[in-house]
Amino acid sequence: MSMRSGTRLRVPFLLFLAFLLVACAATPQSQQLLSRPSDQLPEGVELVDVPFFPQELYQCGPAALATILQYNQVAVQPDELVSHVYIPSRQGSLQVEMLAATRTFERIPYVIPGTLTAIINELDAGNPVLVFQNLGLSVLPQWHYAVVVGFDPEQQELILRSGTVREHRVALPVFERTWQRAEHWAYVALTPGDLPASAEVSDYFMAVADFQRLHPELSGAAWQAGYQQWPDQAVIAMGYSNWLYQQGDLARAASVLEQLLSIQPDYQPAQQNLSAIRNEMQS
Amino acid sequence: MKIRTLKSVTTWMLATVFAFGAMFQQAYAAPQTMVTTEQLMQEMQVADQRASVNNFLSRADVQAQLAARGVDAADAQARVNAMSQAELAALSAQIDELPAGEGLLETVLFLLVIFMLLDIAGVTDIFPGL
Repeated sequence: MSMRSGTRLRVPFLLFLAFLLVACAATPQSQQLLSRPSDQLPEGVELVDVPFFPQELYQCGPAALATILQYNQVAVQPDELVSHVYIPSRQGSLQVEMLAATRTFERIPYVIPGTLTAIINELDAGNPVLVFQNLGLSVLPQWHYAVVVGFDPEQQELILRSGTVREHRVALPVFERTWQRAEHWAYVALTPGDLPASAEVSDYFMAVADFQRLHPELSGAAWQAGYQQWPDQAVIAMGYSNWLYQQGDLARAASVLEQLLSIQPDYQPAQQNLSAIRNEMQS
Repeated sequence: MKIRTLKSVTTWMLATVFAFGAMFQQAYAAPQTMVTTEQLMQEMQVADQRASVNNFLSRADVQAQLAARGVDAADAQARVNAMSQAELAALSAQIDELPAGEGLLETVLFLLVIFMLLDIAGVTDIFPGL
């Protein structure tokens, strides 16, 4: 009897607490997206072929990473990734190591802008998005990696490969809250030569340059793709030209710089490299 | 003591920034050397005020930090080798503060009840069935 009355008191109190927290956690992005008339919502998309690896204890990192790598034609199992991203004393995986391990397996990690629209755009471009979430609360965090594979505008849900659920459907505002608590962190794994939907010059340059340090031989396709997209952007042209130079293709390295200088005649690093390359070609 | 440490850190950081500056000038001034992609990267990082000191971080240091947290020594070396300078800096500075995604709950029953309610309310997303 006394237990019952205790429960009776506790439940309304908890509900009240829950409502307070709901009131605190605004979801501006979902609101903005869902307030559009239904014909102006992004179209539905679902990458049904993205594989699923139900996670084992504490190992959502390896599971999520294997999910995006396998979809990108890297034959790797979650078990093999444990030694690449798992930290025993932390019982989890750090974001930095997820990016580094993506690189180890010959894919370029590209962190996308923290917007729901960016996620949906990547899905449209065929890139599953690895997201970091805090499924719990800021004060009681429950950090988690999952992979967004679809968007359902009718149900207003995202579809995730998450934990032990193959098709985890989450209402946009709920996802936004869990994602917001993890600072809207998300990335895609690119096969060199593919551009992300949200490609931006300096981020792309950094992503490829970091990748090149580990895989110089594979980065050519990535520079070329960037150069095709932004032929007039100095850093991209420089990166591509330097890569060609390293491969011994001096003539093409020079012509990329000439092209750049025809647009930006005063760009000093290009002048300097071009004159060095011409000297070398003459000698 | 504290102030002295702070001073020496500041001096060190300033020295680093100047060293970088000097390096670029030198690279650009010497007529027949190439401007490398690494230099462009460092320049962008300095411009961003990201990780201006990090080039002096040794990979071995971060490797040791990972090993101390239970990662196999050979694995730690391979893992550190795949990191960018900015990633190394982030890890080195905050390896114990950065959130680690684990995705399973270790909470007492009372908290489970709260989380179930919060899940139903759409605040959290711990129980996929709710």
